[in-house]
Amino acid sequence: MSDPTPASIFRELERRKRFLSGGFWIKIGLLTLFLLAPFLFPSFKSVDLMIKIIIFATLVASFDILLGYTGIISFGHGMFFGIGAYCLGFFLSKYGSPSYLNIILAFSAAIVVSFLLALFISFLSLRIKAIFFAMITLALAEFSLILAMKLSRFTGGEDGISISLPGIFTVSTDFGRILGLDITGRIVTYYFILLICLGLFLMMLRFTRSPLGRVLQAIRDNVQRAEALGYSTFIYQIISITFGCIVASVVGGLYALWVRYINPESCLSTVIVLDVLIMVIIGGMGTLYGSFIGAAFLQMAQTFLPDLQKFAKTLFPHADLLHNAMERWLLIFGILFILIVFFFPRGVMGTIQEITARRKAGRAS
Amino acid sequence: MSDAVLSVEGIHTFIGRHHVLQGLSFKAEPDAVTVLIGRNGAGKSTALKTIIGLHSPSEGKIIFKGQETHRMKPYRVARMGIGFVPEDLGIFSELTVEENMRVAMFREDEAAENRLEVIFDIFADLKKFWKGKAGNLSGGQKQMLAIARAMVNDTTLLLIDEPTKGLAPILVESLIEVITEIKKHSVIILVEQNVEDEDLKSKYLGISNS
Repeated sequence: MSDPTPASIFRELERRKRFLSGGFWIKIGLLTLFLLAPFLFPSFKSVDLMIKIIIFATLVASFDILLGYTGIISFGHGMFFGIGAYCLGFFLSKYGSPSYLNIILAFSAAIVVSFLLALFISFLSLRIKAIFFAMITLALAEFSLILAMKLSRFTGGEDGISISLPGIFTVSTDFGRILGLDITGRIVTYYFILLICLGLFLMMLRFTRSPLGRVLQAIRDNVQRAEALGYSTFIYQIISITFGCIVASVVGGLYALWVRYINPESCLSTVIVLDVLIMVIIGGMGTLYGSFIGAAFLQMAQTFLPDLQKFAKTLFPHADLLHNAMERWLLIFGILFILIVFFFPRGVMGTIQEITARRKAGRAS
Repeated sequence: MSDAVLSVEGIHTFIGRHHVLQGLSFKAEPDAVTVLIGRNGAGKSTALKTIIGLHSPSEGKIIFKGQETHRMKPYRVARMGIGFVPEDLGIFSELTVEENMRVAMFREDEAAENRLEVIFDIFADLKKFWKGKAGNLSGGQKQMLAIARAMVNDTTLLLIDEPTKGLAPILVESLIEVITEIKKHSVIILVEQNVEDEDLKSKYLGISNS
């Protein structure tokens, strides 16, 4: 066995220190929270909120691979999300029947379609300049939305598609009670989605921390320099785009599995990508873990801020001005967003990482 | 005289509508550091970028190790064994020093790890800031990182664009020592205005596009 090099000694030290860091225990705490959420907060509203945080955090992380790690902006991420959702709708309801095989086929179809489409868009636009990717994806996203609305006989149009699920995923399925919680098909679906999202997230983590991820970050920082170091940036960008888009389509399928109803507005609208962009900005670009912060912030804001007026009326029954202000919850959300951008210019996780890195550098010098 | 590692023959390069290189020809041989000198805008940096493939010449030939490279993509040229240290250093500021070094490695094998140890001996600061962000390094440290990155592979030819620009005289001296060290195993083409060092045994080539 060869002697350890300074670099390998550093790596070993870092590995040992990992279990002592606060970040490691925060991650374990978060995972425990998501695992126990249905037992801790059994109401549908809470479980729905938790699963949407998980789904959108995974979607945001896949978007972050493109934007934060490769420096490519895609306005078509919502379209890939929609492809996944519609594949599930087609296979399980519109053109198929609820069965486990059809779930597998739907996800496989989503992966193949999104892979081919991402490849096509990349070849079409990246040869010229990365910015064309943004323009083409925006055009295609709008086109897919119109297509889904107009081809109503094929897609269900604005009425959408209600999705029926097989066996263990149906709401009526009852597996008895565990720790006071009724284990229904909803709970099974929750854990199924949590498991897949966790797998996807770990895959993305591995992807970004691999030598390949390092090259992608180099491309993001300086395309010409990465090329002069011996990397075909075009190929690497394609790998990043197809990977990110495939994950987005799988997440779309999981979303459809949870909400059991899809329509163009909820699955293909460009509002989805704008929400994702806000979540990335809040969490911090190129941080991956920041996606949880961004998703949690937006989902909690969208769930609880509309109820603020009710709270205000209970607490201050005669403060009409306050009631009116609370009614416009989007305004409050806007103010919160501005405050976050102001105090965390690199997103919450990005700013925390920067401060930690600066402290470490200070200790080293 | 030893055989030329690189031969540039009548290169013409346009940047937009500007005809920057107008029939540049020279050879880089292993026994001397080839230094391209000329006034600002003469096309010194363009010459290096054309060699690495970042600019495509409209006419002429570039032959490296007996192979024509002027139609190749930059990444193919780099993989043939040409290292490039640009004037702006091209440091990936969001990556750590370690990541900057590793991204430059064609292979993370034992030979590369050994070269890394040699680099640590020459540039002790890099070891100190190994896990720190490259963007937080000082100008001199960034310069060292840029050169160290080019040394991490077994490069036959190293193109360095104005390495002493903006450096304190004491750092320039140690940089010349480093270049003298690199010269033992790589052929060097340098774009520089201030290097007049006997140890380098340089071959000075004037370049002008007027």
